[in-house]
Amino acid sequence: MNNKMDNQMEVKILEIMNTVLDNRTKKILTALSPELHLRNDIGFDSLDLAELTVRIEAEYDIDIFEDGIVNTVSEILEKLNSK
Amino acid sequence: MDYFLKDIEYGMPITWDFLINDINNSLTYNPYCKSDNYYHVFKHIITSLIIGKEIILLDSDFTNSELVNLTGFSEYEEFTQLIDKASFSLLRDKVELIEKLRTTCDDWKVTLYTSGTTGIPKKVTHNFNSITRFVKVSERNTNSIWGFAYNPTHMAGIQVFFQALLNGNTIVRLFGLSPNEIHSEINENSITHISATPTFYRLLLPCEETFQSVERITSGGEKFNEKTIMQLKGIFPNAKITNVYASTEAGTLFASDNEIFSIKSEYEHLIRVKNNELLVHSSLMGSSDINIEEWYNTGDLLETVSENPLKFRFISRKSDMINVGGYKVNPLEVEETILSLTGIQNVRVYSKSNSVLGNIICCEVVCDNEQISESSIRTFLQSKIQEFKIPRIIRFVDKLSTTRTGKIKRN
Repeated sequence: MNNKMDNQMEVKILEIMNTVLDNRTKKILTALSPELHLRNDIGFDSLDLAELTVRIEAEYDIDIFEDGIVNTVSEILEKLNSK
Repeated sequence: MDYFLKDIEYGMPITWDFLINDINNSLTYNPYCKSDNYYHVFKHIITSLIIGKEIILLDSDFTNSELVNLTGFSEYEEFTQLIDKASFSLLRDKVELIEKLRTTCDDWKVTLYTSGTTGIPKKVTHNFNSITRFVKVSERNTNSIWGFAYNPTHMAGIQVFFQALLNGNTIVRLFGLSPNEIHSEINENSITHISATPTFYRLLLPCEETFQSVERITSGGEKFNEKTIMQLKGIFPNAKITNVYASTEAGTLFASDNEIFSIKSEYEHLIRVKNNELLVHSSLMGSSDINIEEWYNTGDLLETVSENPLKFRFISRKSDMINVGGYKVNPLEVEETILSLTGIQNVRVYSKSNSVLGNIICCEVVCDNEQISESSIRTFLQSKIQEFKIPRIIRFVDKLSTTRTGKIKRN
């Protein structure tokens, strides 16, 4: 059950990230892996990260950057799962 | 080696000797400066100072339509002129260059653009004295190494540039680099001074490393919260942290170790507080298209902490400007641009507070054409305005939200 939930969440996060990337005509992702670094691997800049937090907050009601910047996909998933 | 600029985006570090040689060999000059190459911008500014001609700084990401709006042109080739080499002796070395910059700048001026309050960006011009008012040249600063963390065509960037230039320091470009690159640039170059927006510092966090070489951290442009200051003290254990208040119109006016600002006695008669708003005397201002009266109202609200000597803290900025990570966005300018797209009936641009950038630009759109989509609006805006002004969240609505008095809601 938990695994299924995580998968759903990952699919949703992938969709949100691709919306952000597509908005800036940046290359979208085909799959999400936990170790991906948001800035170094995915290529998000501060404007993108700002948009990402708004879109994730709209979906999950959690501000992932509230306590400082998170760096990787797995850190996002941890934040969302810990609430 | 005595380096002038290190910019990993452009490869080889540039020495002072290379710079001087390059200036000595320059045959032409164009007053308009638009480049995303930091070295080109810096060399252009120095050349303008040497020949005593105006320089007009344009952001490298201005779109053609912004350029036409601001300057009347989008191409500047025709303004290229020959430098009268006979009037200028060749520079021998760095010491002579700096000495020349300090002494031969009476006719020189720099023009830059700031988001105006009426929807049209306004032009602000400074002379050498007003731009270098807060530059400190001293023996103590000779060995400073500056982390350059601003856009070089913005007021804050120009001020950092002059501080480093007139002290003969090395500048290391940090702006626009990834956090990992920034960390390694600070370490490898033993950077001693960094001036940046709070957003820049926030994006360095969390950070497990500590940077022992940094002696001073300066920040301005947005409110800095206590938590970020505490985190910065952790990663820069040897740094003194200073908060500055500056604007494009007046440059740096005040500096402080915390939230409470005071004024140096020599400027005391040039600052006034009226109805809790900060007024600045016109002699401290650069000149602009708009005639200003003797006292310029900054629109910034403050709370007086003590009357004599005057100490205060800033409460808020009165204007409608939205501060996106230290960049000011005028919602009216963005609304006007969106409205110019056929099929858009009405639009409301507003800010939403954001943990990364302080604020983020959002908009609501009413349209009467089914062809309009979020991506068609974005594509249109990308050709019209700078990226940081483009709304990140676009909502399609039947009717705009208004406040109880019928005004458009901004927050």
